[in-house]
Formats: sequence, structure tokens, C-alpha cells
Amino acid sequence: MPKKKAKNRPGIKQKTEGTISRRNVLKIGAAAGAATVLAPNIITTRKAFAAADPVPIPLAQCTAAVRSPAHVPFVDELPIMFPAIDHPLSPAPTETANTGAGEWPRVAHQRWAQFTPAHVTTELEARPGLHTFHSNYGPSYVWGFNGVYPAPTVLNRYGKPTIVRFRNSTPPSGDNTFGHPEITIHLHNGHHGSESDGFAGDFFPSGRWKDNLYPNCYAGLDTFGGNGDTREKMGTFWFHDHRAEKTLNNNVMGLNGMFIVYDETDPGHEHPSAGSLRLPGYYGVTDIPLILTEKRFCGLDGQGRNEMVNAAGGDKWIVNGAIQPRMTVRNRKYRFRILSTGPTTAQWDLRLRGPSGDIETMTVVATDANFLEHPVPVDAGANAGNSNSVLGTTIQVPGAIRVNVAERYDVIIDFSKYNPGDQLYLTDARIMNVNQTATQPLNIPPPGFLTNIDIGNVIMRFDVVNRETWFPADTPAIPETLCTFPPICTPDTTFTWNFTRDPAGTLPARLFRINGKVFDANVPQHCILKGTCEEWLVNNNTPNADGPTNWAHPVHIHFEEFRILKRFAIVGGVFQEVAVTPLSRGRKDVTKVEPGEAALIRMNFRDYIGRYLIHCHNMGHEDAFMMVAWHIVPDAAAKAVCDSQIVQANKEFEAKLRGEEVA
Amino acid sequence: MDRRSMLSRVFKPSPYSQGAAKFTNAVLRTQDNKEVRFYDDLIKGKQCVINLMYANCHGACPLVTTILKRTYRDLKDRMGKDLFIYSISVKPQDDTPAALKHYAEMRNADLPGWYFLTGDSYDIETIRFRLFNMGHVGMDLDFAMHSGTFRIINDATNYWGHAQAFASQQNIMQRIAWADPYKSPAEWDVYARNLQVAIDKDVKKYGYRRGF
Repeated sequence: MPKKKAKNRPGIKQKTEGTISRRNVLKIGAAAGAATVLAPNIITTRKAFAAADPVPIPLAQCTAAVRSPAHVPFVDELPIMFPAIDHPLSPAPTETANTGAGEWPRVAHQRWAQFTPAHVTTELEARPGLHTFHSNYGPSYVWGFNGVYPAPTVLNRYGKPTIVRFRNSTPPSGDNTFGHPEITIHLHNGHHGSESDGFAGDFFPSGRWKDNLYPNCYAGLDTFGGNGDTREKMGTFWFHDHRAEKTLNNNVMGLNGMFIVYDETDPGHEHPSAGSLRLPGYYGVTDIPLILTEKRFCGLDGQGRNEMVNAAGGDKWIVNGAIQPRMTVRNRKYRFRILSTGPTTAQWDLRLRGPSGDIETMTVVATDANFLEHPVPVDAGANAGNSNSVLGTTIQVPGAIRVNVAERYDVIIDFSKYNPGDQLYLTDARIMNVNQTATQPLNIPPPGFLTNIDIGNVIMRFDVVNRETWFPADTPAIPETLCTFPPICTPDTTFTWNFTRDPAGTLPARLFRINGKVFDANVPQHCILKGTCEEWLVNNNTPNADGPTNWAHPVHIHFEEFRILKRFAIVGGVFQEVAVTPLSRGRKDVTKVEPGEAALIRMNFRDYIGRYLIHCHNMGHEDAFMMVAWHIVPDAAAKAVCDSQIVQANKEFEAKLRGEEVA
Repeated sequence: MDRRSMLSRVFKPSPYSQGAAKFTNAVLRTQDNKEVRFYDDLIKGKQCVINLMYANCHGACPLVTTILKRTYRDLKDRMGKDLFIYSISVKPQDDTPAALKHYAEMRNADLPGWYFLTGDSYDIETIRFRLFNMGHVGMDLDFAMHSGTFRIINDATNYWGHAQAFASQQNIMQRIAWADPYKSPAEWDVYARNLQVAIDKDVKKYGYRRGF
């Protein structure tokens, strides 16, 4: 590595074992995670894109990159995103859009009077930055919230509503390589008004901002009163750009981050307190976000940059913005909030490998944002049956927790079982490029590395050290019971969503569709009366799909969590009901349907009205049409109008298919 | 508009457009048997809607041409000036310029700013792959796969979008507008003002925001 490169990245040389206080952990997160971006930006954000911002190096310079440059494993400490700090906004948020001051048009915030008296505020500004993914690399041009990738983590609390002001300071024209400078930010999977949901058609341009009101309430406000039904508690959210057609692009650029909401059961600390489950709970210290993605990089260019290759997929596995980092852990329990940001077909089959390479136990406590009723341990031994890496009825990767795009799994790992000096590995089933080159087609493991793991499988390493006296003592055993699920609702009606990919030669030849339709910001495909419950079949065993080459779709539904009642798959050539895996029996907001699969779910539609989405969360698929809107309407009259709009749109569709010239 | 008058306008590409390296500069022929270079003459700095077709097609192509005619009519003021339609033949070995002229005339689609294009089949296969590939072999090898899809390009902003022919006309118009040149702050002010008015009307009429 050339000497001048190290000089360009202050703070990259960190202290390591034994010297990490909480403050240092956060500082290291800031330094390694953001290289040239300074922490004060989390409070004093600039108000617009400025000419002094970094500019990308034109794409043409790195289209030839086939393999990312080699890196040395386990050099960098795992970055941890620093928290976004609450601070007052100027001008103060208003119920209706403050368009005069630059807010983007929207409807008035729903339930404003109920939720604003006690709210807190913060601002996240999407703008360009430089991020160094590995200390063998030069910085890369990214878009990040407050210039940082991944974004600062928003730490919130139930009962404390938040307004997040999303400001768009991406380059307004000209120098976008891959991102598009219009954004709309979705909080996945918040229960809030449509005007705060980051609807895909509601994007706004550079120089504008939009206030999203996150009430941090439990669903069921209308029926339960107060702050809703506490059994609807969620924890691990994430926020990301949802711009129609450009979600993939803007997420590859870096516009996503984690959003955690605490309550009494999960209070964000480990002290004994009323109702607390006492799980590992200090953010950034014993409660660690792990944001997974994959990227590809260009070779070092004349300006000392290693730019990202702007495309879906990659050959480097990235965790919290770092390539194969290591994390120093004390011999105690830790909670990891694992999120896959995709962006496309990546499915992480995560396994914990012990000091000798054996598959060790990880205990899942929450799926998507929701606690399971009871912890579910996953390993390749006694708990092998709990793996969700299932196709049909077959476990594909023994001992693995499969994380599909946009899914979250909260996992407890107990490092007290290991000795100081032990090293453990978090692995994927796929092999990344560590140090392959054109002439060296295979990865060469570092000296002394385990022989029973391919170094390319390893996402990160855990280095176990003795807990120092100042470090928080271990938490009690994981409780047998984590929560009580709210009852599964009784459906008022049923509906089927068919996910299709048209076989060649069929009309209307639209590739990815849901119920034959593509994303239309103006036309819903389903109208739902507020306050009702529906049973939906999410169906990827569709009649016009060309059989086994139909594709897998991680389906996400906005607004409320659902429960999977039944799962269907093709086993031995026969479409039949198969068991719902233990990790899918809880509350979910993403369910992957493999080719020929279907899921029967139930979900409530309470408290709010407006436009929401169902879509495949493979960002390539959602940008290529596999997303449609559904509306929650306030009353029967509105439902009649909504339904007639669907009928009208279908008439136009049919007329077009007949070749009529539509007036 | 012939090639010379097309070139007389200044179309400025985005500095981050990959240009001919991505689009190719293949020499194609229009329905009027005029030679055009794909990137330099048709794409560079311009906004355009591109579809794939062939003259002797009895499935989607005539239907899609009808839909494009409606689109042309709706955007007539811009057509041939800063917005273009390119219908590229994926059976160039059969489709001579004369055959395409006949196809266009039969359907009243021989209009200024709308080019029916043919050329060397290798070049067209390359263009088809560059513009419409989904990164999946099964789809990409099948030339009929994209007959219902429009590729929407704005090379001045390096925008790559798309629309589906059989979606609502409003949806097609919106997706073309999503690829429009960047607006100035003053233009965004006007746009935002109108949008808020439309939203408020929608809410007043239906009780919630349904569209836009």
C-alpha cells in the first residue's frame, strides 16, 4: 500500500484489543465507517448540495473491472454506525407541507394533534461523500445520509414520536453516475401515514426536503386507544430510498441505514428495569447492527480512488461498509441486528464457525422487527431443523440462518463459551473474491487459516478477549418467553397477489408483473377499508410462468406486520402445503416465495389511510415493474371510487390489448 | 427532420454518459433510407423512447405501435425537437428501410421525430442487449422478450428508465416525464405549487390522496 494513501485517511489506524471503550467503539465506527466525514455532520448538516462536495470519477474509467482488487482479510475493525442525535429543526415541522420553506408537497400529517406534542426531531441529509471500504483501498464516491455510508442509526423509543426531516442534497444535475438525484425515503416497516411512508412515486428533487412523521406507536390505535396494542411492538427497522425505477441505483449509492425503536421490554440498556427482557442492549457496545450487502470495485485510479462499479451484485461481501472486518468481542453475550440490503439476488446463508471451524449455535430472538415468542437456536446439530435455508422441504445449508433482501434477524451469540484468544467466523455459503486476480483465479487464505473454511466464505471475524472490569457484565440467560403475539386476525376478505414473469412470446410481454400489472403511482390494484383484516395469498406458483425458470421473490408488504398461516411449495413435482419454518412462524414483513411457492398470510389495515405498496424487494425486480400500490380508504364511498378506478384502468388495459386507439 | 437538421440542434450529453461505448455507434438506416449513427445522431444528449419490433409481426408489435402513436400525439409539441421515438427492427435481415416505411405508413406512424430503424443484425443484437438486457441469459437471448417494453433514455441526464406499453397511458406519460431534463429551482417551484394544488383537490374530492 502506498504511503500517501494512509495519509489520506486519518483515523483508519485504530487501537485494537483491550482498549475499546464505548466511546472508542463509536469513534472507530465513525472513523472507519466514514473515513473523511467528520462526526459533527450528524448535527450541523449543510442545507444544500455544494460545489465543494466530492464528485465521482466518470464511470467510463472502471467499466473494465471484472474482479475487485485484492484485500487482506481482517485488517479493519468492524465499523459501527454512530447514532443520529435528536436536535431541533428550523423551520419547525408543520402539519401541512411547508412548501414555502422548501418542503415537498404532501397531504397533511395524519394524527398530527395526537403525536406532535411530545415529539423529537432529527434531520438526515442525503448527499455525496467518500467512504473507504477497506484500508487496502482508496476512498469510493458514495451517497450517504449526512454523507455517511451506512447512514447514522436512528435510535427511537415507543411513545416518543419522531419527525425525521429527509433533505435531498444530492447533486442536482450532471454528475450522477448511477444514483438519481430524486429520493423518497421509506421506513421499513413503520406503521404511519402514507404521507410519511416514502411511497415510490412521492420522490422529491435535490434542494427540497420532506418531514416524515414516525409516531412510534403500536398498531391498533383505534381499537386499543392510547399508543396502540403493545403486542405489536417492533424493534429493528431500516430506512432506504424507494424512488420508482431507481431504488436499486440509489441504494447501491448508499442511501440506507438502520432505525431501532426501544420500549420497556427492549429498553436499549441492560439494567434490571420493569418489563425488560435484559437482552444484550447497549447500542454499538453489546447490541451491534450488521448491515450486509455486496459490491464490486474498480482498480485504484489516478486520483487514489477505488470507485464502486455501479451495478447490482458484487464480488466483495460488505458488512457495515467494510470488507472482511474483525470485531473484538468480550466473553459474554452479544446481540446482532442483521439486515440484508441486497440489493438483488443476494441471500445470505449465515453460519457461525467456531475456533476449529465447526458450526456453532446462534439464537434468533427476532425476525424482521419482531420478537419471536420463544428464542430459536440454529446450528447444524440438535437445532439443525430450525434453519430457514429451506427450498421445498429440504434444508439447503445446514446450520444457516437465511437472510433475504430487506429481512432482519436479531441474533444472540454467547461468546462466554469461548476462550480469550479464540477466533470465530461469520460465514456465507457463497464465495467472495478475496485476492483473486486475472492470473490467480483462486483465493489464497492467510497463513495459518483454518483448512475447513474457504476464506471467501467469511464475512467477518470475531476475536474473543477477556471482559475487562469496565466493560458491561454479561446479561442473564435469554428468557424462555420473549413476547406474546397478538391474535391472528379474522379476515374480512381474501385476495391473491400473483407474482409473474412472462414466458417468451406471450402478451402483454411485460416481464415482471404483479397481478398482470406494473407500478403505477396513480392506479391502485386493491382497495382496502380502514380497520379491516385481509387474508392474502402471495403466489409465485403462477399459471403463466414458465415453470421451473420462474424466479424467487422476497415479497415485502408495507404498513403492518403479517403472519404466515400456510406455505406451499412444489415437492416431488406436486404443489402442496409444506411446513412454515420455525423462523417464519413469527410476525414478518418480508416473505420470500421461491419459484412455485406461495404463502398464505393475514394482516390488519388499521389507523391510517392512503397509498401503500406490495413489491418484490429484489431491487432490480421492483425497479423493473414488480411493485403495485394498494390503498387504504376511509369509508365505503371512497372504496367505491377506488374500486371503480381499478375497473377503469383494466378497461384501458383490455382496450390496448385489442389494439384499440384509446382516446 | 432529416439527419442534417437533426444535427443542427445542440444536444449536450451528460458527462457521465458512457456514450458510444455503451450504446454503440452502429450505422443504422431509417425508414427513409437515411444513414444514422446510433449514439451520435440518435441518442447523444437526447431524450427518447425506444421499442423493439419487426414489420411482419402479428403479436405485440402493431399493438405497441398503436400505443406509441397515442404517446406521440400526447407529446406532439416535443416530438422531433427534444423527444424522439425509435422503433428498432429485431429482424433487420427481413426489414429493409422500404419495408419499415411501408409498416409506418400503413399505421399512420411515419411521423417527424419517429424513426423506424434497421441495420446490420449483429449491430442490432448488440444494441438490443445493451439497452434491454436483464442480466439473465434466458431472457436476454430471446429477442421477443422485450416487445412490450419501452426503454426511456435521457442521455443529457444519463437517465435510464422504462415503461410498459400496456400500462395506463397516464403511467407511460409519467414514466417519460420521470426522465425529463432536470428542472431549474424556479421550474421545480412551479411544479411543486401545481402538485400541492392537485393533491389538495384530490383529498377534498376523495378523502385521501389517490394519485400523482
